[in-house]
Amino acid sequence: MFKDLDPILHSQLRLAVVSLLVSVKEAEFTYLKEKTNSTAGNLSVQINKLKEAGYIDVAKRFKDNYPQTTCRITPAGIRAFEQYVKDLHSYLNIDGRANGNGKK
Amino acid sequence: MEQEKTMSGEEGLRLIERMIFVAKQEQRVDGVGWIWWGWALFAASIFTLVNLRFNWVSTYFFWNALGVVALVYFVARYLQYFFFGAGKTVRTYTCELIRKLNLGFFISLFFIMIAMNGILSPMAGFPILVNLYAFWILIYGTSMNFRPFIAGAFVAWGLGIAGLFAKTFEGVMLTHAIAVLCGYIIPGYMANTAFKKLNREVAAYSV
Repeated sequence: MFKDLDPILHSQLRLAVVSLLVSVKEAEFTYLKEKTNSTAGNLSVQINKLKEAGYIDVAKRFKDNYPQTTCRITPAGIRAFEQYVKDLHSYLNIDGRANGNGKK
Repeated sequence: MEQEKTMSGEEGLRLIERMIFVAKQEQRVDGVGWIWWGWALFAASIFTLVNLRFNWVSTYFFWNALGVVALVYFVARYLQYFFFGAGKTVRTYTCELIRKLNLGFFISLFFIMIAMNGILSPMAGFPILVNLYAFWILIYGTSMNFRPFIAGAFVAWGLGIAGLFAKTFEGVMLTHAIAVLCGYIIPGYMANTAFKKLNREVAAYSV
């Protein structure tokens, strides 16, 4: 049904992470975990997938002897997110027309 | 949130909307800093005004006391920031702009205060300070998209101009106090109310 939607973004947690990052300059892992209400393990896996796709940059450093992971969206990530939203809108319009609710 | 959970298009859009709403909270201020700073300036103006009548202490005693307290506070805050960091887990472009704006404001503030202890008459110095407050509030209000600050800035500018034409130092102190009330204190309380409301909405919006 959504075969043309970006499969990297069409996942609940990854989309939540990218939606948060698109609104801020950078965010720490703990912030993303808290706001997406996810587990550390799952979030870590999804962040790696976004990083491999080139949608986010991940910086790892130590702060007060604790590891600190900071994420920020890349220009490619912003473009992909904008395209995803555009595609989503176009799909919803097609669905709406099918239901007789679409804008003409 | 489950791994690889499937979504419909509507769910996707709702999720995006919710996350952007949550992130928006980071760009809001609770207004507490404005309220404290506003009341401190307001108290210094009013105590100076009363002191001009009763001559308890020297004319600028309350301003000098506030200046020392403010200087110690801001040095402590910046040392804390440099040694321990901001302690925030997220950084926004707006917050970065505001931090630089605050730094510029306080450098300008101390610049004018030093001038007022030398070549600049306090009769002109306080209206110039009000002008600086108005500029700060305007940029702050615009970056936060918070209209009470923008309105407060223009009211403060009006009072700053009135202060320039005041005949007595009492008049200057009075216009200064009202400018602080309209520019800092009232918008500060309104920002605090809006922040609390937004927090409640975000809590209700939890994933």
